[in-house]
Amino acid sequence: MTNEILLQLLSAFLFTMGLLVVLLRRDTIMILMGIELLLNAANLSLVAFSKSSHMIEGQVQVFFIITIAAAESAIGLSILVNLYRNFGSINTQSATTLKG
Amino acid sequence: MSPVIIILCVVSAVLALTMLFTKSPITSALCLLGVLIMTAAVYGLIGEHLVATIQLVVYAGAIMVLFIFSIMLLNLTEGENDFKQNPAVFIAGIALGLAAFGAIAYAIIRHFATHAAGKEMGIYSPEKIAELGGNSIVLSHALFSQFYVSFEVISLALLVAVVGAVVLAKRKVD
Repeated sequence: MTNEILLQLLSAFLFTMGLLVVLLRRDTIMILMGIELLLNAANLSLVAFSKSSHMIEGQVQVFFIITIAAAESAIGLSILVNLYRNFGSINTQSATTLKG
Repeated sequence: MSPVIIILCVVSAVLALTMLFTKSPITSALCLLGVLIMTAAVYGLIGEHLVATIQLVVYAGAIMVLFIFSIMLLNLTEGENDFKQNPAVFIAGIALGLAAFGAIAYAIIRHFATHAAGKEMGIYSPEKIAELGGNSIVLSHALFSQFYVSFEVISLALLVAVVGAVVLAKRKVD
């Protein structure tokens, strides 16, 4: 077992945890944090693979992913503030306007 | 396999588990912060200094400050977030997570067992990177020559995101 396998397994574990946070929690802010964890796990996998195959494209990709993640969390948190202002709660169960 | 990386991996796995099962949002945010810092440390240890710095500044700095600031601003208490699911749904979720982890881990181990030997290598070996002046210089050259179009598009995307965030936060929905 080498460093690369260990890092890939850690990335898989963090990805699973992010998936479970998104699936099981009901707070919107927890769902956003789960998405951040998913992105972080994907970044770790990209960096480890690009390191082990002597390339730099993976790291450039990670640079762009981190930028997009920052933009995504800014948008997500402003949606969350709007949700709180309109429904008085950020629980996903309380936002029922679109329910048919 | 260095022992420091093993310790970092174990600590970040424990922090991710704590993040999933804790009740209060602020504890979750601090656990996520810990995971991000551990990841930055792993990047630094395997020699990817530029990515480690960006991870520390943008992810662990800016994004997590934004999250903790929102938690403070919305005054979230423990009563607000319920982790009380239907037990069947909870067990199904955990089983799905275990299945996903098992599948990914199996694919990884099989990949390293079968394809690792005859794999095609890129030109940026550690010696070549050291000769060119280090990881940050190599990556910066690539960003400003080979990938400059993507770089400019990303700056446009950031501008759009800033405007969008302001518009969304100011708007009142009736």
